[in-house]
Amino acid sequence: MQSYRLLLLPFFILVVSFTILFPNFADRTLNVVVREDVYSLPEADQKALVSGLFDRWEKDYGKNSGWTIEPKGSLPPRENPFYIIKGRFITSAKINQISQENQNLVNESKNKLEPTWIENMIRGGKSLSIKLGLDLQGGMRVVLKGDFEDYTNKLRDLYAKEIAELNLTLNNPTTKPEEKEKAQNRLSEIESSFDLSPMRKIVELEKAKMIIDNRLTTQNLTEPQVRIQKEQDAIEVSLPGVSNSAAILEILQNTETVEYRLEEPNPFTYKTIIGDSERRMMDLGQREKTDIFLFQELVKNKAGKKAQDEFLAGLEKKYNIPKDYKVYAMWARGNSAKSTLLPRSFVVLERKIALSGNDMTNAQPSYNSNSYGWMVSFTLTPSGAEKFFDLTSENRGRNLAIVWGDKVISNPVINDPIAGGRAEISGSFSEQEAIRLANVISEGALPIPLSVLEMRFIGPTLGIESIEVGVKAVAIGFFLVMVYMIFYYRLGGFIADLSLLVNIVILAALLTLMDFTLTLPGIAGIILTAGMAVDANVIIYERIREEIEEGRALSIAVTRGFENAFWTIMDANVTTLIAGILMIRLGNGPIKGFAITLCWGIVTTLFTSLFLSRLFMELSVNRFGIHHLNLRPFFFGKKEGKHA
Amino acid sequence: MRNINFTKYKYFTLSFSFLAIVFGFVVTFSKYGGFAHSLDFNGGLRTVVELSKDKTRTDLETYFQSKKIEAVVILLEKEKNIFQLDIGLGSLDTIESLYKEIPEDRRESSTSAIDRFVQLLRFEFNLPKEKVLSADQVGAVVGGELTEVGITLLLTTLAIILLYLSIRSQFKFALASAIALVHDILMTLALIGFLQIKPSVPIIAALLTLLGYSINDKIVVFDRIRENAHGKDNLALSNIINVSITQTLGRTINTSFTTMISVVAIIVGGAAELYDFAFILLFGVIVGTYSSIYIAAPISEIYDQLRKKKFA
Repeated sequence: MQSYRLLLLPFFILVVSFTILFPNFADRTLNVVVREDVYSLPEADQKALVSGLFDRWEKDYGKNSGWTIEPKGSLPPRENPFYIIKGRFITSAKINQISQENQNLVNESKNKLEPTWIENMIRGGKSLSIKLGLDLQGGMRVVLKGDFEDYTNKLRDLYAKEIAELNLTLNNPTTKPEEKEKAQNRLSEIESSFDLSPMRKIVELEKAKMIIDNRLTTQNLTEPQVRIQKEQDAIEVSLPGVSNSAAILEILQNTETVEYRLEEPNPFTYKTIIGDSERRMMDLGQREKTDIFLFQELVKNKAGKKAQDEFLAGLEKKYNIPKDYKVYAMWARGNSAKSTLLPRSFVVLERKIALSGNDMTNAQPSYNSNSYGWMVSFTLTPSGAEKFFDLTSENRGRNLAIVWGDKVISNPVINDPIAGGRAEISGSFSEQEAIRLANVISEGALPIPLSVLEMRFIGPTLGIESIEVGVKAVAIGFFLVMVYMIFYYRLGGFIADLSLLVNIVILAALLTLMDFTLTLPGIAGIILTAGMAVDANVIIYERIREEIEEGRALSIAVTRGFENAFWTIMDANVTTLIAGILMIRLGNGPIKGFAITLCWGIVTTLFTSLFLSRLFMELSVNRFGIHHLNLRPFFFGKKEGKHA
Repeated sequence: MRNINFTKYKYFTLSFSFLAIVFGFVVTFSKYGGFAHSLDFNGGLRTVVELSKDKTRTDLETYFQSKKIEAVVILLEKEKNIFQLDIGLGSLDTIESLYKEIPEDRRESSTSAIDRFVQLLRFEFNLPKEKVLSADQVGAVVGGELTEVGITLLLTTLAIILLYLSIRSQFKFALASAIALVHDILMTLALIGFLQIKPSVPIIAALLTLLGYSINDKIVVFDRIRENAHGKDNLALSNIINVSITQTLGRTINTSFTTMISVVAIIVGGAAELYDFAFILLFGVIVGTYSSIYIAAPISEIYDQLRKKKFA
């Protein structure tokens, strides 16, 4: 009844699976980039760095791996500053280790594992190799400390407007006493929100933890462990097998907010004062001494947010800006669309935030074909829409600046009140920036700024020997199970082994495609899958044997055996599958990792045991002319039953 | 077909299980005051040290045992002899008093627990500063919410099994499977408490695996009982149960045996940190198989008898 043509399906699935798994076994090329500043060091220092790398290479990285490194024992040339490492099984943990241990030599954020052809083909160059969790291969651990001082300053800006109004009410002699009392109460309520109790801090950290969790999930890290360290007001993030920690750090720490602030009213008194002073400098031919030039230098040298904030605060003092206003830099590109975004001039905005990022949601980047640039459109929350309408109707003709992080990216004039709860931001964005801005608006910003307290590469929670022994033990176990099956069920056992192998291969390919991070609980899930797959085959053969013993013809016995076993296997697997789905929904970390492998394992098991085993079995009975099937163990089995 | 009488021992096995669970929990809470502490659940101190080549895991373990410090020792790198030491929070007082025993001139004054522990290690194992690669106070990986999640998970899973099996077969079988499943979990928890095994992420994985294995095993056995009982409502259920269990015995032995092969391989292989994991799994396979035959089947029979009496 079965035809050979059906064999094409499992064959095709296997080919696809092996193709997906190919990057795990392939020869890979890793480019380790040398830091630019190494080349300007004295020769002795260069030598020390290089020998540091190669000592460890001999002892550790390259010892048993069979990897090659070019150029060996020296610095690569300046115009082509990378070491090229070639070999199999270059894990992200190893890449991290090399970068971390040679921090002064290697520019970690630029290291690149060259994608294989298959990754280029189906993933646009994104990695397709199986990731291992922290417990199996170690990874990055970052501890981020909440900066609560900065947080309270932001809060003050947010409430500045309301506080000013309340003070007016209080100081106004015509205010009724009950209104005064109301205002006084509200004022103390606001003041108390600036006072951070330990409880409050934990709540804010919890919020930050959730946002970090979300960000990491979108980074395809399936099991990042994020936890709060109460003693230190810090959040600890463990990232298994992260190969690009600098980029991840940026994602973690990104506290950029998006907010609207009104610019000082026309005729822009303060902006003009600053502008005039800058121009005088230019006329004297002292471009290097202008504030904007100095500020650009700060940015180019990556001096960091603190330095930039201090610089701008210095300007406020220098030009006697009243305390209701703040100096910002207006950022834009140069004349070409490709040039970098840099501060180009100073603007003076109101200190109070007109509309904060909490009032905006659901942002989408889109390409505007009229202005040939990217823009971001977003929806306002109901209360945000109301605020925005009031703001735009009360301040027609004024400029409303959009502040992203600390950058003013545009300050359009308010022509008409904007109602309807939708708005857009257009600036001179690149696609990347538009996406980032949209993400900041959609995900919400971190409630508190975070600074890196420590960042380290840590070892696995399971010792290296345990992993080696564990892997060996599981492999030996598998092998013994297979031998036992062949011993016990002969041809049936062989077919069961075949479908078990196919099962594991398909499962591995599926998990790889899903960017799953394998952890110890995940492996436990795979072991259970294998156990249940073997069990399914055992149930089937026992049934076939019963049919044969009742004296049925072989091909009928096989078919009936499968049919009788079908619902038993279905029931068992579906129930377990439901339990697994519950675990994915309810569980976290370890439970989830286990459940994901289990659920997909059940799917592959059902396919291999109910379809594949049956196909092989029926083909052998109906096509290969096997006339009697003995499903009794060697040496111990009873005499086989007679087939009718 | 031979027929083995399994249900004969039902009162014995049911009482045995019940007493074993009670005994395990009584010992756990009276003698030890609860389950063992562990870094994964309670947080603690974690240090990574590079020991001189003449020191081994045994040296570390002997030292900690002699001083009554709860510690988990993990060998991270063989060649460099690098160990990771996890110290439970319960041992902080011990560490403090040991730290005070270090001669004044051999120690730096420190107030934090982790510093004291590092001083202690350096003093005991003659470690220069640079050989202590890292030392941190770590929080729990799995917070208190895990117990809550675990219980919610178990209850929902049980509800689902009850529902699904009631639809697919009969309520008495569904109920018996669910009770047997609870029995397996309680039995394993009683063992973990009784032996004071440190709860950790691998242990959770083992518990989940056992849960899955146990569900699978029960359904297979009960499917056969259901099939044999089909349309024979007037027959004594005990007979049908015995026949069915006997029929599935070959499969039960084969499956539990093949599952055990891998687990025993881990235990024999000597992966120190996986020992507990494999041990719980081994126990789980045995208990899961036992409870399908000696707990779930008799319960369904007793339930059946009670119901028949009611309607008789």
